[in-house]
Amino acid sequence: MDWVDYLIRSVVAVVVFAAILGTCTLLVWFERRGAAWMQVRVGPNKAGPFGLLQTVADAVKLLTKEVFVPDSADPLVYRIAPLLSLLPAFLALTIVPFGPGFHIGDRYVPMQIADLNIGILWLLCMSSIAVYGYILAGWSSGSKYPLLGAVRQSAQVISYELVMSLAIIPVVIWAGTLSTSGIVEAQSRYHWYVVPLIVPAIAFFVSGIAETNRPPFDLVEAESELVAGAITEYGGVRFMMFFLAEYTNIITISAITTTLFLGGWNGPILFGTIAGWSVVPLWGLFWFLLKTGVLLFVFIWVRVSLPRLRYDQLMTFGWKIMIGVNVAVVLAVSFVIALMEQGALPMFWAPPGR
Amino acid sequence: MTQTHHSRARVIPPSVLRPVTQTDEGSQEMMRPGETNVVAVRRQRGIITNADFDELLDAPEDETMIINMGPQHPSTHGVLRLMVELDGEEVLRVQPVVGYLHTGMEKTAEDLMFIQGSTNVTRMDYLAPMTNELCFSLAVERLLGVEVPPRAAAIRVLMCELNRISSHMIWFATSGMDLGATTVMIHGLREREKILNFFEKTTGLRMNHDYIRPGGVAADLPDGWERDVADILDVLPPRIAESRELLDDNPIFQRRTQGVGELTREEALALGVTGPMLRASGVKWDLRKAFPYSGYDQYEFDVPTWDTCDVWGRYMVRMAEIGESVRICRQVLDSMPRGDYRVQDKKVTPPPRRRIDESMEALIHHFKLFTEGFKVPEGETYVAIESPRGELGCYLVADGGSKAYRQHTRGPCFVHVHALPAMMVGGLVADAIVTIAAADPVLGEVDR
Amino acid sequence: MAAVGIARGLGVTLRNLFRRKVTTQYPDAIRPKPVRFHGRHVLNRYEDGMEKCIGCELCAGVCPARCIYVRGADNPPDSPVSPGERFGYVYEINFLRCIFCGLCVEACPTEAITMSNLFEWSFTDRKDAIFGKDLLLVEADGTPRHKGSPYFDPESLRESGGWMRATSPSGDGDYVGVGGWSSDAGYGVRPGEAGQRAIVDAPETTAEDHA
Repeated sequence: MDWVDYLIRSVVAVVVFAAILGTCTLLVWFERRGAAWMQVRVGPNKAGPFGLLQTVADAVKLLTKEVFVPDSADPLVYRIAPLLSLLPAFLALTIVPFGPGFHIGDRYVPMQIADLNIGILWLLCMSSIAVYGYILAGWSSGSKYPLLGAVRQSAQVISYELVMSLAIIPVVIWAGTLSTSGIVEAQSRYHWYVVPLIVPAIAFFVSGIAETNRPPFDLVEAESELVAGAITEYGGVRFMMFFLAEYTNIITISAITTTLFLGGWNGPILFGTIAGWSVVPLWGLFWFLLKTGVLLFVFIWVRVSLPRLRYDQLMTFGWKIMIGVNVAVVLAVSFVIALMEQGALPMFWAPPGR
Repeated sequence: MTQTHHSRARVIPPSVLRPVTQTDEGSQEMMRPGETNVVAVRRQRGIITNADFDELLDAPEDETMIINMGPQHPSTHGVLRLMVELDGEEVLRVQPVVGYLHTGMEKTAEDLMFIQGSTNVTRMDYLAPMTNELCFSLAVERLLGVEVPPRAAAIRVLMCELNRISSHMIWFATSGMDLGATTVMIHGLREREKILNFFEKTTGLRMNHDYIRPGGVAADLPDGWERDVADILDVLPPRIAESRELLDDNPIFQRRTQGVGELTREEALALGVTGPMLRASGVKWDLRKAFPYSGYDQYEFDVPTWDTCDVWGRYMVRMAEIGESVRICRQVLDSMPRGDYRVQDKKVTPPPRRRIDESMEALIHHFKLFTEGFKVPEGETYVAIESPRGELGCYLVADGGSKAYRQHTRGPCFVHVHALPAMMVGGLVADAIVTIAAADPVLGEVDR
Repeated sequence: MAAVGIARGLGVTLRNLFRRKVTTQYPDAIRPKPVRFHGRHVLNRYEDGMEKCIGCELCAGVCPARCIYVRGADNPPDSPVSPGERFGYVYEINFLRCIFCGLCVEACPTEAITMSNLFEWSFTDRKDAIFGKDLLLVEADGTPRHKGSPYFDPESLRESGGWMRATSPSGDGDYVGVGGWSSDAGYGVRPGEAGQRAIVDAPETTAEDHA
């Protein structure tokens, strides 16, 4: 690695960061228009072409609002909480491989900010830190509804963090690596992991919805119950940070689900990839964005269709069903892999490198 | 400059500085169990039947939180304020506080002629304005001793039943919203819109119509009303059936509503709960059947009941009632009589516009009616009808003049709001929201 | 079973995606107003330009919101404002109080006050909410005066007084569709609704020429 490589990495990071901000803007528009269409409404269509600039207008409004701290709030924590929510959201995205790397001359350009060999652990780590944003926001606001929201957040996150980890373990066992790019590589050779691991795939996505506090698991905000939950007392740019973090998290969850279960940037051939399909890096990026986009649509689709769960029902669902099922799956997968390695089972769905 | 600014700070005289408990707002504070009496705690815990209240006063004090739900809260359906004592998320005590929308309508009624009265009462339960007008008009008519023509009665039934559908649709919409099912809300409002459009065509207004008046209805049904009503009756049931697909089989919806906000038959009767809430507790009681008014006995319809006593039951009863209303509307559509639609009594109803120019007598009647109104014989009466929410009663005292001496409305929502503690205590915050939604309170009518 | 329930809900929203949307794109698209629409009041004129208002104050008397202020005055003999003895010298409606119930329209014996289709107006000062004769009185050709709106549909101004015509039989079945209202400047006698039966007399013959 010399300075040119560092420069390349920096450029990639800046491009991804800018793209995420742009995608968030688009996603908010997409959600509002999509939700409206699914509710036989029209949605925002006045600001800019097709209302595309509506989010920009909203952002300008939020940015120009007064920045305040409520009297009863803990001033320091109140200020830190939004940052604590937003930063991990961005950091979690660094491990997502958006496409296959490519060469310019003899320089390798990865389409991923950081290809960590512990990529999945990094994701879990960041999503654990991010929840402190909401918890501290609710606690520091010095108000009762945010406090209830914070309590809900801590309980909800602990349970669904566990589900999420358990849903990832089969993938890791199957791929034999913690690196996200390694997992995508593994899927390009044989099959997408959604095929053998459909149950963890669903579990991961559902717990992802819960982690991002999206309906029907939006108990932390739960407008009709807790006004705006943990972020009731926030306004202006601080509110915008939470908002941005939420949408970044949605993108992260969709992108990671794509990476772990839907073959990442691999083309749509489930069993083995046709040689040359994924060689062109932009082609890989296209498939990645398409799959992520479909998952984003599912986020919105689920949101408009389902009523919200109750707090205790969410816990029951998480602890009694999701965790139980996933523990069983982890055991089963371990058993199958062990049998394969012992030669007791054909290596039909064999993990690579084994 | 800063100095002068500070020196202009308002000095509050000591006589105004009272402890917060003595102010109007503060006297409604929810006290800790140890600081208040058994009766209040019993009421707040929604205990109807005789229970041992020795333990009521020593509830855990340190671990509970008293929280204000409302008057500004997204799902208290207006300006209902509930003070709720929570243990974690569990509701321990509830104290509803009403009056935030108090506009003195009952007092206003004493200053309005009977001929103007409908404009006032229609604003009480603003989601079911027709039933308010009908209730008031029936009371005035009973004191006057007049019988409205059959066409007027049929129009009233038609409008009230359409209003029942629209009211239940907005209930469907808002309770869906409270559950987080946003599509349900848009669907409900879309269906309601269709009925409001017909109301607008008939009365010129979408709400607060002043259409049903003492003596009949203000105007005949508009041209092409048969087509409009038939269209509503054809289009709405399949659409509602589709909207129900979003909820009926949905396990989340079932678990959010079944066994939530329970009100037993005995409790419901003791609290004076009426309407769909009572019928969901298994009591087959409908004033349209029990004391038929406005010709309801001519129409065939059933009184749907449910025996689960919970929010799910209230949902099922209301949905079934929409079907019954459609049935009634179809019968009205087929059997609408022709002829007068206001009682033809010169002392009550102004003359037709054409007669004003033809007859001096008519002109005099016209002038007298619109300035002095009509006089109502001395007496008092109570008329109750089945509004979409329950028993809507109008108690009217006349002193022989053209204005009411006293007009009191017995609103079902007022009673239901005070039944909330019995339903909410023991549930979670989320259940509380669903329970409020299922009670379908309209604060305009609670506070009047 | 549970999955089926959720899938049905998802199906409804997916179907909605391809349905015609129900939102009216106001102000780009304007919903047609029903004939009886209760819009802003106008003070009408006869076809010769005379004002219909005779200053009798029936409207003010019946108004439940007490938002109408009327003062009558004797017509100047050389240049009468209205056909009768007196005319509405002052006529003010406070639109912050008005509830648009339409009782004034029903009370007016000369059809002077009716309701138009105007509803788009605003004010930034409470005083501006009190509309005087300068705004309420129609132009000599019968066009309602209004402050204008880029979205306003001028055609809909032709629809006026529907509530007055709808209530004119006053519940008497024999008078349904009979008419009884005077002609308006620029529009003649407006047709009423057919109601329970077709209009018996042609509108022209029922017109009473007050002027």
